[in-house]
Amino acid sequence: MKFSKSFALSVVCAAILAGCGGDDGKNGIDGTNGADGADGTNGVSVLVTSADVITTNAQHAYAVYSDSLIAAKALKEQLEVFVAAPTDENFTKAKEAWLDAREPYGQSEVYRFREGPIDALTKNEEGSWTLVPDEGPEGRINAWPLAEALIDYTISMGGTELPEDATNLSLGGNLIASENENYAAINRELLTKVAQESDPETVQSAFAFGSDDRNVRSGYHAIEFLLWGQDLNGNGKYEAQRDYTAGHRKASDYFTDVGTCTSEGIVQTEERTCTRRGQYLLESAKLLVEDLNNVTDAWTPGQGFHYMAFTHADNTQSALNKILTGMGELSLGELSAERIQKSYDANSQEDEHSCFSDNTHRDIYLNAKGIQNTFLGEYTRFSGEALAGASLYDLLVVKGHAELANKLRAALEDTMAKASVIDTTAKLGSSFDIQIQENEFRPAIKATMDALAAQTNVIEEVMATLEVTNP
Amino acid sequence: MVKLGQGMKNISLILGMIFLIGCGGGEGVSSIEPVIKIDDKEKKVDFIQFDDGLKAMSISKPDEFEYLSAGQATTDVQTAEAYGQAIPAIKGKFEKNALFKGGDHLFRNPHNGTGPLFNTATCQGCHVKDGRGNVPVSIDKPMVSMFLRISDAEGNPDVIYGNQLQTFGITGNGESILPKHDGAINENISYGEAYAFVEYETITGQYNDGESYQLRKPIYKVKDLSYGDFNETVRLSPRVSPPVFGTGLLESIPEEALAFYSDPDDKNKDGISGRAVYSVEPISNKNKITRFGYKATTTSILQQISGAYRGDMGITNFVEQQEPCTQLQVACLAQAQLEQNIQEFGLDLSKVSLAQVEFYNRTLSVPKRRGYDNQNNTWQPEVLAGRTQFFELNCNGCHVPRFKTQPGHASLLGDVTVSEILDSQTPISELGEHVIYPYTDLLLHDMGGQCADIYREGAQGQACESGSECIWVQKCEGLADNRPEGQATGTEWKTPALWGLGLVQTVNSSATLLHDGRARTIAEAILWHGGEAEQAKNNFIALPKEKRKQLLTFLESL
Repeated sequence: MKFSKSFALSVVCAAILAGCGGDDGKNGIDGTNGADGADGTNGVSVLVTSADVITTNAQHAYAVYSDSLIAAKALKEQLEVFVAAPTDENFTKAKEAWLDAREPYGQSEVYRFREGPIDALTKNEEGSWTLVPDEGPEGRINAWPLAEALIDYTISMGGTELPEDATNLSLGGNLIASENENYAAINRELLTKVAQESDPETVQSAFAFGSDDRNVRSGYHAIEFLLWGQDLNGNGKYEAQRDYTAGHRKASDYFTDVGTCTSEGIVQTEERTCTRRGQYLLESAKLLVEDLNNVTDAWTPGQGFHYMAFTHADNTQSALNKILTGMGELSLGELSAERIQKSYDANSQEDEHSCFSDNTHRDIYLNAKGIQNTFLGEYTRFSGEALAGASLYDLLVVKGHAELANKLRAALEDTMAKASVIDTTAKLGSSFDIQIQENEFRPAIKATMDALAAQTNVIEEVMATLEVTNP
Repeated sequence: MVKLGQGMKNISLILGMIFLIGCGGGEGVSSIEPVIKIDDKEKKVDFIQFDDGLKAMSISKPDEFEYLSAGQATTDVQTAEAYGQAIPAIKGKFEKNALFKGGDHLFRNPHNGTGPLFNTATCQGCHVKDGRGNVPVSIDKPMVSMFLRISDAEGNPDVIYGNQLQTFGITGNGESILPKHDGAINENISYGEAYAFVEYETITGQYNDGESYQLRKPIYKVKDLSYGDFNETVRLSPRVSPPVFGTGLLESIPEEALAFYSDPDDKNKDGISGRAVYSVEPISNKNKITRFGYKATTTSILQQISGAYRGDMGITNFVEQQEPCTQLQVACLAQAQLEQNIQEFGLDLSKVSLAQVEFYNRTLSVPKRRGYDNQNNTWQPEVLAGRTQFFELNCNGCHVPRFKTQPGHASLLGDVTVSEILDSQTPISELGEHVIYPYTDLLLHDMGGQCADIYREGAQGQACESGSECIWVQKCEGLADNRPEGQATGTEWKTPALWGLGLVQTVNSSATLLHDGRARTIAEAILWHGGEAEQAKNNFIALPKEKRKQLLTFLESL
């Protein structure tokens, strides 16, 4: 890519010199034609095509999902180490591995809301991969709010911890502690099952209340809950005024020597619950890796079935539509409306994205970063390696919309500046759940929402300009 | 009442008698003439249609775009998610889709401040996947997506329990808690109000061609009254939560179109006397037709959701600002004091959230029809034949097929964005100018039936005067609940929409039909019709099997 950029640069100069009588606007009004000179293009290629932008977008999808997969595998390995030897040190490493795994995944979410593999990947009747709207693995990977009360012990947090159906827990407690034979095996089915009419009634109400899919039991946030536990205050209580701490789960929740296993802070007579908790943790990680693996495969350059379809020459306009739709939908509907505004409006911890670990500031920052990455055709890998390719920014300039290109670039930079305040405030000790309850921090959150709304309007403008508006 | 079970003719006879009573002894069923007159050549329906500028519907030939149940507001999705889709024009705009998604999040998730009394903790908990709720699978499971309304004989709220029995209460620790006899009085804990359950008796009947059928006749029972006895003339009315999709389009049907089909004195002598009733809309204080609620009691979606937030979930909001406790429910009032009331005016829900949930409900789409081949523009013959049956039986007398919408009014709360309410009020243009096929007139109709007075009995059916052993029992014949509500009588119900009918169990496999979920199939739902629909029901019973099947195939295609 480096080569092509410098190559492009020289071509631009040549092309524009020829076209604009020697004033390419590079020097502003100091150019030979003064204020009458052409608008500058700052040396961006005139050769960047829609196809180039689409290819970059597809390659970076592979990179960001590969990174998510690598980090999820590392998490799984660390969880295996921890469950085998549940020391405090291994517990800390497991939690660090979870936080690390969130870094690439957060940046991948700009690939949602565009009927891509993450939302739509499934197998057809012949057993081959295909895309069907809403049938993809995303719900298993990253859905929230979690039904934590259905998974493991909790205390009431004002009734907002799920499951929503008060009758579910009368089935004999949560799934980990349950001795109900229907939940004996902790496996993929237990984590993902949507009950069928033919199932016993108890199974139906636990797994899918009235065919409702509300009771989320798998993915990153299930693992998060099993590592941190509920985010109560340092005194172990749920209080209206939250403190700065995240969840306080102890490593002893995974002790399997006789007479050492704890649950709810109490030593259990049997180690069964701790054993099952460990199984649940590992099963969740296994499923996560499996799902991310499938998504990554679909994006493999040159062979992944979605990579091939997405970059196919016949699909240029629809591919550009998908890229921009993902950016717009994530900006406003998902990040601003669901992930920020809901917890902001109701001062609700349950509605924050990573509520157990107090990592929501990273979710916000990384989602916004992913949108900016897409626009700029950039992505810095987990390894630190920087990728850069043909960008939407370039394409807009080439098509004569330098002003709009800069408008969106500025809007995205504004959002990043605002989101950085949330991120940094959290890193300095006041996590997002503190920020939503303290008046001194709330304006920065509102400013981030406003900036996201503003950038969405510009994204819409770009779609109209490139004539790829949603039908 | 006469013992049932001797075949459907008996039931028809009885319902016919009730119908006579209901109509003040007017003309008998037998003298009613069929309304549909078909010109054999043109095959045009001779039923009077509101002039909305559209060509009159034909009995044999569907409109060109009839497969689009809500015109351009129709969704293609036919899966379990069919009822939860945004209108396409909403989905195509980031800002509006964000509002829709924000509203969806609120619809699905519990809120702070739930209770002190509630039926379920989320909108979705009742309106499962935006569709219907369920009857509990057994009597030891509490009602979660259905509940009983309560009043005295005149329809006034019960002085202790108000107008709705909430099954769940909340303890000081924030745990939900089921009812316990006199528990709230003796322990000052906000227990759920009372535990209602349903038992079914099987009644059998016969179609004219000899095929028999079975219906589930419900008997409603209530026990564990936490706050003391019900009032002396108590009336109960069970309801399963209705679907919410498409309601924004129903709200956008012009009032004059609905009023056109109103015929309270049955001047056209078709035996059907739909009644439009009006009431004052909150906030605007305008007198409007009441088109929502099983008994047509509310004027708007905003009024409906505000009432549901308060009554079903115990979430106070801008329109309904009082917790669902009556002044005599001391334990409930005490528990309410413990709530944080974090929003403006000390409410549980912000105005932004209320407006987003309103927007979400209003912009839910309607699934397209099955049985239509898009490529060749052809309908399955069975569906077409069933459609003709629908008209010939005069089902359309109440289930009016087609309307044209006007632009959706602006929210009375003001325009809402992702994060705030603005001063402006902009109509929702995406709701307007659609030709829709909801199959309802949204009017009140006398559906016949009657109930015995509610009485108390012990667990073994023995007499019971008072105490924890007593179970309150309601037995009715037909669809009546014997409970007046708003301007509706104890035998009147609002015609429900039929669109999306064929996907009810695709969306929620446990769902059943009618206001209390007693009907397991569409055929059963038809067979429960009485009163003004007695003739149409009898026409159905008289059909040969093949034609009955056609009708049902048509209804499944909706």
